[in-house]
Amino acid sequence: MSALTREETEALIQEVLEVYPEKARKDRAKHLAVNDQSIEQSKKCITSNRKSLPGVMTIRGCAYAGSKGVVWGPIKDMIHISHGPVGCGQYSRAGRRNYYVGTTGINTFGTMNFTSDFQEKDIVFGGDKKLAKVMLEIESLFPLNKGISIQSECPIGLIGDDIEAVAKKTAKEINKPIVPVRCEGFRGVSQSLGHHIANDAIRDWVLPRRDTQEFASTPYDVAVIGDYNIGGDAWSSRILLEEMGLRVIAQWSGDGTIAEMEMTPNAKLNLIHCYRSMNYIARHMEEKYSIPWMEYNFFGPTKVAESLRAIAAHFDDKIKEGAERVIAKYQAMMDEVIAKYKPRLQGKRVMLYVGGLRPRHVIGAYEDLGMEVVGTGYEFGHNDDYDRTIKDMGNATLIYDDVTGFEFEEFVKRVKPDLVGSGIKEKFIFQKMGVPFRQMHSWDYSGPYHGYDGFAIFARDMDMTINNPCWSKMTPPWLKPVAPETEQKAA
Amino acid sequence: MANIMIQRGARGDYVFYLPKRDLEDAIVSMEFDTPEKWGGEIRLNNGGSYYIEPQAAPAKLPISLRARRLDAAE
Amino acid sequence: MQKVDDIKPCYPLFRQDEYKESLGNKQDQFEERHGKDVVQDTFTWTTTAEYRDLNFKREALTVNPAKACQPLGAVLCALGFEKTLPYVHGSQGCVAYFRTYFNRHFREPVACVSDSMTEDAAVFGGQKNMIDGLENAKALYKPDMIAVSTTCMAEVIGDDLNAFILNTKKAGNIPDDFPTPYAHTPSFVGSHVTGWDNMFEGVMRYFTLNTMEGKAPGQNGKINIVPGFETYLGNYRVIHRMLDEMGVAHTMLSDPAEVLDTPADGKFRMYAGGTTQDEVKDAPNAHNTFLLQPMQLEKTKKLVEGTWNHEVPKLNIPMGLEWTDEWLMKVAEVTGKPIPASLVLERGRLVDMITDSHTWLHGKKFGLYGDPDFVMGMAKFLTELGAEPTHILCNNGSKKWNKAMRAVMDETPYGRDAKLYPGADLWHFRSLMFTEKPDFMIGNSYGKFIQRDTLHKGKEFEVPLIRIGFPIFDRHHLHRATTLGYEGAMQVLTTLVNSVLERLDEETRGMGTTDYNHDLVR
Repeated sequence: MSALTREETEALIQEVLEVYPEKARKDRAKHLAVNDQSIEQSKKCITSNRKSLPGVMTIRGCAYAGSKGVVWGPIKDMIHISHGPVGCGQYSRAGRRNYYVGTTGINTFGTMNFTSDFQEKDIVFGGDKKLAKVMLEIESLFPLNKGISIQSECPIGLIGDDIEAVAKKTAKEINKPIVPVRCEGFRGVSQSLGHHIANDAIRDWVLPRRDTQEFASTPYDVAVIGDYNIGGDAWSSRILLEEMGLRVIAQWSGDGTIAEMEMTPNAKLNLIHCYRSMNYIARHMEEKYSIPWMEYNFFGPTKVAESLRAIAAHFDDKIKEGAERVIAKYQAMMDEVIAKYKPRLQGKRVMLYVGGLRPRHVIGAYEDLGMEVVGTGYEFGHNDDYDRTIKDMGNATLIYDDVTGFEFEEFVKRVKPDLVGSGIKEKFIFQKMGVPFRQMHSWDYSGPYHGYDGFAIFARDMDMTINNPCWSKMTPPWLKPVAPETEQKAA
Repeated sequence: MANIMIQRGARGDYVFYLPKRDLEDAIVSMEFDTPEKWGGEIRLNNGGSYYIEPQAAPAKLPISLRARRLDAAE
Repeated sequence: MQKVDDIKPCYPLFRQDEYKESLGNKQDQFEERHGKDVVQDTFTWTTTAEYRDLNFKREALTVNPAKACQPLGAVLCALGFEKTLPYVHGSQGCVAYFRTYFNRHFREPVACVSDSMTEDAAVFGGQKNMIDGLENAKALYKPDMIAVSTTCMAEVIGDDLNAFILNTKKAGNIPDDFPTPYAHTPSFVGSHVTGWDNMFEGVMRYFTLNTMEGKAPGQNGKINIVPGFETYLGNYRVIHRMLDEMGVAHTMLSDPAEVLDTPADGKFRMYAGGTTQDEVKDAPNAHNTFLLQPMQLEKTKKLVEGTWNHEVPKLNIPMGLEWTDEWLMKVAEVTGKPIPASLVLERGRLVDMITDSHTWLHGKKFGLYGDPDFVMGMAKFLTELGAEPTHILCNNGSKKWNKAMRAVMDETPYGRDAKLYPGADLWHFRSLMFTEKPDFMIGNSYGKFIQRDTLHKGKEFEVPLIRIGFPIFDRHHLHRATTLGYEGAMQVLTTLVNSVLERLDEETRGMGTTDYNHDLVR
């Protein structure tokens, strides 16, 4: 299947838009684009971070998902209260695979669900008293917790509760940090505002706590920021940084602890993986603590090596040599992985639709395997994300922001990629259509995908899905027309 | 009035950042840029412009400031 | 480092020495962990009766609930009607969660839209969202019906669904006659089973309340079946099969068994199967309406009795032997159709299986948790096998449930010692699994964390989890199973007895220690 030309891609967008009522069509048109590498600023071709249209089946979540689900939830030694009705905490319980080690229920709490389970009377009379009681009960039953965060669900902001006052008062009583987070689901247009709100809560309630405390630093202290350790991603990243001679003093927030967060201002360099969800805190630390930060990309050997060198450039020769040593150490293994899988994957075309950093960050990893990303889009990206994406994508490829269920299905039908990488809500749609699919949020229950060890798994996984025999079994043999070659592809 | 941040870009230029809208853009001109007087009207690459109360140049960047929007980009 | 011929995912990759060292360094140098002894002592304390008592004194905190919220149930209910798009009025994040939750359980696509209310809607109300949302949803996804429910955001600000939908039609954004049943489903009242009940009542009301003229019980010669919040696809199918074998014409009111089990044949079907609008309109003409999960269908019962004038038969969930017997006898009584030989044969086979397996199940103790009618049916069936339900926990169980459940357990010596826990959560259940250890627990996937906790205390304290319930995320295809009718009892019995035997094998595998009882023939 040859790639679509610019004209064909533009026509495809127009065709898909036709179904919309006029008002919605005008709005959606701004979120769909044909990539043009010559454009410097993405806003000239695509609009992002705007309200989703009602009724179109957006794939986006909410601010609570961005704060509790993404940023705060993985901090393993704190207890995160889903404050409000029972659902939010239940749906977001233990689904994201932010790995950690600890004794769950005793000194770590990552896969648990703590909720104030609001009833009608809490809505009518307010939930502050209940919240205070919830926290005292937590302290008595889970004494080894290192602090509590209050993750607000929609009703909190609507009924006028003062969770900040409750937090301050109870924090004094139990002598532990309590962080109120105003991440009600109706705030903002997607998860993204939740990330921002969560970052601000860390800035205001966590980082200042050790401003005057001594810290035995070394010149090689770095913090890994914006790695949620899905499938162990942060671990397969951390090991490379350590091998090149750096000391990772904090991991945010996958397998993270409040101690590490509080010590982060002692880092010499903040390394940002998921820019979208944690650039805010990096900017803050740059201003307040003069810690420089840089984005890096640990997907695929090309980007890993590039990133290791860019990181090392911030340090002395010892680290620079360390980076070269690490790159050399893994080179043979990477060559073998590519030699094994590239011939099986060469030329395969991929469409992505994910969140955070992945719509652009994984492009290099696919290219390392000889694959091509022909469409990509962000669930909750902003202009700065698309700015960073345009140059990574080929000309005339398809870019879609906050894609609707309808659009994505139509795009895949026409572009006919060999693989779709997206989320659980999309997975079964495309599998039934006979399109090989990998979840690129949860790594489809595999991973890690970061770092050199992660890339080996990535390559293995893409091969197992694209080349599994199941995709050729969609049509019963007696229903296949005479020319089986062409029919198989259509199926 | 909006909270904004001004920082140094990779090429030593000024970069403007508006956290509320996640707007990051190069500053193409700043009305005053001397150690004694710094700020005033700033123009962004995207066509927007903001006004910062002129002040002594900050000792270090980035710095968070209050700014008034003169002309929005969109 | 990975080896190209043996690429390892997270487990066992992170058991390699270099990762153990890296993780160990992180823990020792940066996490400021509590000492091993403190952690172990605290763990041990959480397994004691003292901790259990403290745990049961909780008044405000819920830890690891065994329930979800109303609109989740409303979405499942809506999926059971032909070409119906569930539409949730309120925040969009909720819908992302509902879809994900069902996707993970059914491994199927789930169509559902939200009207994405944000801050401005919180101030001005969500009418604008509704007006645009219904139009967009109809244009894009071409449903024959849109079933509207609400999130807590819309409920807290007091949005009026009826008025909003009427105004959408007045504005001409969707046709006047386009079906738009609705239900208010506040997540701070009841649970997911309440939401199913509310949505169902909303659909029935929409299609029948004002069109009752000329309708009367018995006119169409059918019976109605209302499943309630039911996630076992086999249960929809077994009810159809049993009634077909009896020759009983019937309507399954809300039947998502097709749309949640579509084939992989190159085509995505957003809609498949489901109860038709004509069937719904005709429902009041049935002889009677059978509620499969009566504890969870209170509002439905009121409508069926009050509006349709049906005398809803007093029955329990048709789970296990006796309650399936009673259910079939009542169907026969209402319809005048005898129970056919095929079902007598099927029943006989079930009894035969029970006689075969009773030796392994008699006296075995089970803790169970789940939705009100499910745990009732499950506990009842256990007592029929001579097994003993020891702890029955129902997070969304009411006082009424407690009373009914108690009565069922008091009827049999196998149930008399059962303790009931309405309103309790899985952290309560964890305490019970330590202090009053049963042989097994029965429930959804969340129980796996309790099994791990009990194992952490020592192998002899481990309470293995038998996965029957909702949701089941960590095993494949169990949602296709059956738990109702004789067929369901057979499947449940098979699961139970083999869990017992599997466990016995596990305990007797010690070479040179427990060679005895590691039998080939059982």
